[in-house]
Amino acid sequence: MKARLALGAVGVGLGLWGLWLLVDAVQVPALIRLPIWLGGAVFADDAFLVPLTVGIGWLVTRWSIGPDHHRTVGAVRTTLLYVGITTLIAIPLLLRQGKGVNPTVLPRDYLRDWLLLEATIIAAGVVVYVVQRSRFTFKRSRASSGDIGGR
Amino acid sequence: MKLPAPPTEKSFRSPLHHPRVATVIGRWLATAVVICFLTGLYSHFQQHTPGWLHIPSRPAELYRVTQGLHVLSGTIAVPLLVAKLWTVYPKLFAKLPWPPSRKALENVLERGSILVLVAAMALELFIGFLNTLQWYPWPFPFKETHYALAWIIVGALFVHLAVKLPLIRANWRRTSADRTAPAESLPPAITGLTRRGLFRTVAGAATLVGITSVGQSAPALGPIAVLAPRKPNVGPQGLPVNRTAEAAGVTAIDADWRFTVKGPQQLSYTLDDLRTLPQNRSDLPIACVEGWSQGARWEGIRIRDLLQLCGARADSRVRVVSMEKGGFYATSELPPEFAHDPLTLLALRLNGTELALDHGFPARIIAPNRPGVLQTKWVHRLEVIT
Repeated sequence: MKARLALGAVGVGLGLWGLWLLVDAVQVPALIRLPIWLGGAVFADDAFLVPLTVGIGWLVTRWSIGPDHHRTVGAVRTTLLYVGITTLIAIPLLLRQGKGVNPTVLPRDYLRDWLLLEATIIAAGVVVYVVQRSRFTFKRSRASSGDIGGR
Repeated sequence: MKLPAPPTEKSFRSPLHHPRVATVIGRWLATAVVICFLTGLYSHFQQHTPGWLHIPSRPAELYRVTQGLHVLSGTIAVPLLVAKLWTVYPKLFAKLPWPPSRKALENVLERGSILVLVAAMALELFIGFLNTLQWYPWPFPFKETHYALAWIIVGALFVHLAVKLPLIRANWRRTSADRTAPAESLPPAITGLTRRGLFRTVAGAATLVGITSVGQSAPALGPIAVLAPRKPNVGPQGLPVNRTAEAAGVTAIDADWRFTVKGPQQLSYTLDDLRTLPQNRSDLPIACVEGWSQGARWEGIRIRDLLQLCGARADSRVRVVSMEKGGFYATSELPPEFAHDPLTLLALRLNGTELALDHGFPARIIAPNRPGVLQTKWVHRLEVIT
């Protein structure tokens, strides 16, 4: 209990220090708009990003109940997740490309690179999917032909 | 028509919304946060060095590594934060205890601390990432807010750990369920994802994001850094630029341009004079606060030689003055360790040719282990501070 109280006290102290830094360095008009941005960040996470992930996860799990789907659901789920997270990071790059004054910032063709990246992730997912499926089919055909445990 | 009931904590049936999962992902996220915080603190002290602190000028590549890690750990924290929030998402719908009691108060305080933690961390990662794109769509100053929020995050994290300590203790160690799904829930053959599978997927997502962005700090991985806002070899003379000459309000120099040193003796040089002084070569990186870095070959006059020429003491501190109009970095200070380091130059040439205007023509500072913003460009005066 003492450790917890100490941790909590240190935490409150550090947080107040941060708050003081904020009040000290940021002008009042900006400071009163900061909570809107903080709230917006929570809203983006809790009302959009996470529900989206939960929703897609639910759909994938529902789909996985179908015949044989549970063998390959891992590949589908991982591919969707990787496409999602890389797209999330790519969005600001795509929105901002060509808008700044400094040509050495965002020098790539981000649309092409993003499409290539997603294509690579999906291709890798398809390969894993096919391998997992064929492995399953192979096992099943061996099982049905009495090939397993027979020798 | 009756609307469907709002979700409750029990609506989320995946066994992966479990304290053990939250503890493991929390551990990873905390590691990223600690690395990000410490490297950020180092960068802050580089730019605002308190009197009691002496930052060494070696290892020459230290800042390159720490700031590369700062941006990398922040970027990797994005998938980790999403995973963590996903794991604990059902808690958002838990009912508040009623009627008011000590326990209810604790619960409200706990939720308050989590709200602060999530809000500060999500905004911090967002503005930090957009800063690497030099994009500032918000109404508050980036640097001050980013720094203050970092302390608030660390504070809220301590409070969070204090609140959750018993739960963390109970779930710190691996359980048999990390290999298989708990018996009371859907078998992994149907849900398809065990805890171990989830950990692997989240680690994979973090690795993927890391590999596709770290190339801005590690030039060997530059070609595949498709999620990085910089390519380390793109820019004049094979080096990116942070502040262009145009943005700094610097155009070509006049014929009567002079470089002056204000010390015990006053020195004044034309550009041709500077070129006839003893030249030295330093292989040093430009390591930007925004995380990108690139090694380069610089040629110019050692600052310590200039100090000697003007009769200043070897342990002098030097103020560097740029022709830049306004801005935070129109002047910088070289502490004695940096001014005296033989690698620190008033550089006139970069990668074999005269400095490009965007890289600080006619003369700029290049020193080891320093953020790019302090490698002052378009330098026209040095002032010795004793």
